[in-house]
Amino acid sequence: MAGAGVIDEYVGDLARRLRGPAHVKADLLAEARDSLDDAADSYRDTGLSTEDAERRAVGEFGPLAVVAPGYQAELAAAHAATMLRTVMLLIPLTYVLWELNRMFWIGPWTAFDQGPTPSWYVFVSQGNGYVPWIITGIAGASLAAGRLLSRRGVSGSTLSRLGGLVAAGCVGLGIAFNLSVVIGTAALDAPRLLMPAPVLLAGVWFYVVFIRVGVLARRCLVLSAV
Amino acid sequence: MKSDALRGHLDALLLATLDDGELHGYAIIEALQRRSGGALDLPTGTVYPALRRLERAGHVASEWSTVAGRKRRTYRLTGAGRRALSDERAAWREFTTAIEGVLGGGPWPEQA
Repeated sequence: MAGAGVIDEYVGDLARRLRGPAHVKADLLAEARDSLDDAADSYRDTGLSTEDAERRAVGEFGPLAVVAPGYQAELAAAHAATMLRTVMLLIPLTYVLWELNRMFWIGPWTAFDQGPTPSWYVFVSQGNGYVPWIITGIAGASLAAGRLLSRRGVSGSTLSRLGGLVAAGCVGLGIAFNLSVVIGTAALDAPRLLMPAPVLLAGVWFYVVFIRVGVLARRCLVLSAV
Repeated sequence: MKSDALRGHLDALLLATLDDGELHGYAIIEALQRRSGGALDLPTGTVYPALRRLERAGHVASEWSTVAGRKRRTYRLTGAGRRALSDERAAWREFTTAIEGVLGGGPWPEQA
């Protein structure tokens, strides 16, 4: 095994330049470290000193300016894929939990007292029920599209940017429909919004999830621009 | 051979090194250098992100394993990777046949 020194410094510099999911970064760096150690070992076997062997191994690995962008692109892509999987599972799960909560504490929705339900309200309330499943479909389709685009040579940075934009669009869609229902309900029958605390908390949690996804989407754009 | 000339073919070259079985990253680099007679002059640090890109595309799969007493990430071709390699080889043969037909016959005869 090669000793500490030149390789340690190189891997440390590479680590400081890279940003992204910690476990993926650690995995990439461990592999880079193994490769440098293998190369240094083979040069030491030819009679080079440890320091010269490590310098040669690092030289062959390539300047950080050449090597780091490829690693960063993979970190950005890994972050985007994890985010899309999170969106695909967490948003419908959050919606189902809210619906179960509502059915337990409130029961089935009743008709408005002041007459027939306006068609626009039917549209936004039914749409609000479909949105989580539409978002799940979009996230799943985006993951599949990411694999196809990867086969066509699209870079990890570009995929990360696309993933971030898709997730941001999903957040916007979800919040737009949810707010429409809340505002519409307030206009038609405001007391109906005074729900039991567990249902209100589940509603707040829905927004926490959307905001979290928004933060992850922004991070996609940041990581792809490092 | 300079890295710029290689970049467009790197994915196919990596797939070809895995055609005989799974290899860890450094062994892939050694195989590339050995099979090219040392002509492939590529920063080895660019190979690992390329392998991850191929994994992202579903052309290779990888896992950590212990090789010669050291933990290493080893890569193997998937079914999609084998099909991609086959397509790359067919495209390369077509390309080299066409170029050979133009460049490989020596100077063109002077026209009368």
